[in-house]
Amino acid sequence: MEEADKSWSEAPVSRRAFVGSAVIGSAIAAAAGVFYPLARYLLPESKSGGGKKETYTVALNEVHVGEARFFTFKRRPALLIRKSDTELVALSAVCTHLGCIVKYHEESKQLLCPCHGAKYDQNGRVLGGPAPKPLTAYNARIEAGTIVVEEA
Amino acid sequence: MDELKLGPITLRNRLVLKGFEILDRRFEIKEILDEEVFTKLAPTHLGIFSCFGGITFFIFLMQIMTGLLLMIYYVPDTQSAHKSVVAITNDIPFGWAVRGLHFWGANLMVLTVMIHMGKIYFGGIYKAPREMNWVTGVALFLLTMGFSFTGYLLPWTQLSYWATVIATEAPGAMPVVGPLTKSLMLGGPDVSQVTLSRFFTLHVMVLPAATFGLLIAHFLQIRRQGISGPM
Ligand code: HEM
Ligand code: FES
Repeated sequence: MEEADKSWSEAPVSRRAFVGSAVIGSAIAAAAGVFYPLARYLLPESKSGGGKKETYTVALNEVHVGEARFFTFKRRPALLIRKSDTELVALSAVCTHLGCIVKYHEESKQLLCPCHGAKYDQNGRVLGGPAPKPLTAYNARIEAGTIVVEEA
Repeated sequence: MDELKLGPITLRNRLVLKGFEILDRRFEIKEILDEEVFTKLAPTHLGIFSCFGGITFFIFLMQIMTGLLLMIYYVPDTQSAHKSVVAITNDIPFGWAVRGLHFWGANLMVLTVMIHMGKIYFGGIYKAPREMNWVTGVALFLLTMGFSFTGYLLPWTQLSYWATVIATEAPGAMPVVGPLTKSLMLGGPDVSQVTLSRFFTLHVMVLPAATFGLLIAHFLQIRRQGISGPM
């Protein structure tokens, strides 16, 4: 008992000081949680690249002919399809009906939406289902063994 | 010694020591603080339902702040309104949070106003001498409904449009004054740019100003009459 008391009194930080800094620390964290989003909201260009075009790159030999690869473009899922050695298609994978993510069906070479059955061809054109317009297309080109995807 | 008073007074002394001293020397603010804040203790018969007026006020202040932030990017034009709301939601950093707070705050505020009114009604607190505060309260409730009604049109979606079409048909069906009321609301025969402009003006200028005025009246009456006694 006595020893325990001793260790309390010899503690490098008093209880009051500890609780005090815990309260102040939490207050600072809470304030940061408000002011960081506020600053980002009011300075929208500061961190998002100031209008620079987003690009996505991948080595050509990583995507095989006939295969599709999912990637993130403009913070949304996108699809890269290698139709042949040199032919590439890059599409947004967001269904134009209600925004589900389409899947690539290799055999039929179609893009199918699992939600309400929209069907698109390899170039994103609507083949059937409720989709009102084609999938958004991006530019995909080959540059020295690398595939570069850019906004169209 | 009044045990309960010890806490707030110590807090006051600390605040005054830290920052209020500058003000106190010039305006003798300590006295006001004591009278209005630190020695004003809440009656012990209050429960959770007594908090809903304050909660509603808090949400209203949140609506003001998030509403002002939305106004920075929102464009009240039929060609751009929806586009600007989509941009707020998807492109502007934390825009989704600001809009989400404003949207859910709007819904919550209607709920908390109703709970607040329920407490006053079922507790019989609206009775003399507090009848006038029931009247300001009902006016504040109607203003809240007005906020929701006008705000709902602003994103200019299909839902917005048709909700406004339908909700202006109803007053339009009133005898004698109906058609006049309806065209006054719409600013024409149907929902158009004119309607969006007036709803926007109401939503961000007229209703907030009116709400602030009535809130002051609401709170002054409570200060003068005190909190009602236990049931
Ligand atoms: C000074 C106070 C306020 C300002 C400046 C303001 C401003 C705005 C703006 C610019 C919008 C359009 C953006 C959007 O649709 O997301 C909006 C929407 C809206 N506001 Fe307010 N507002 C205020 C207070 C309120 C209050 C008190 C309520 C309800 C109790 C309210 C309810 C709504 C609703 C329901 C919407 C539609 C939200 C949505 O569809 O996302 N507003 N407000
Ligand atoms: S979301 Fe794709 S079909 Fe409905």
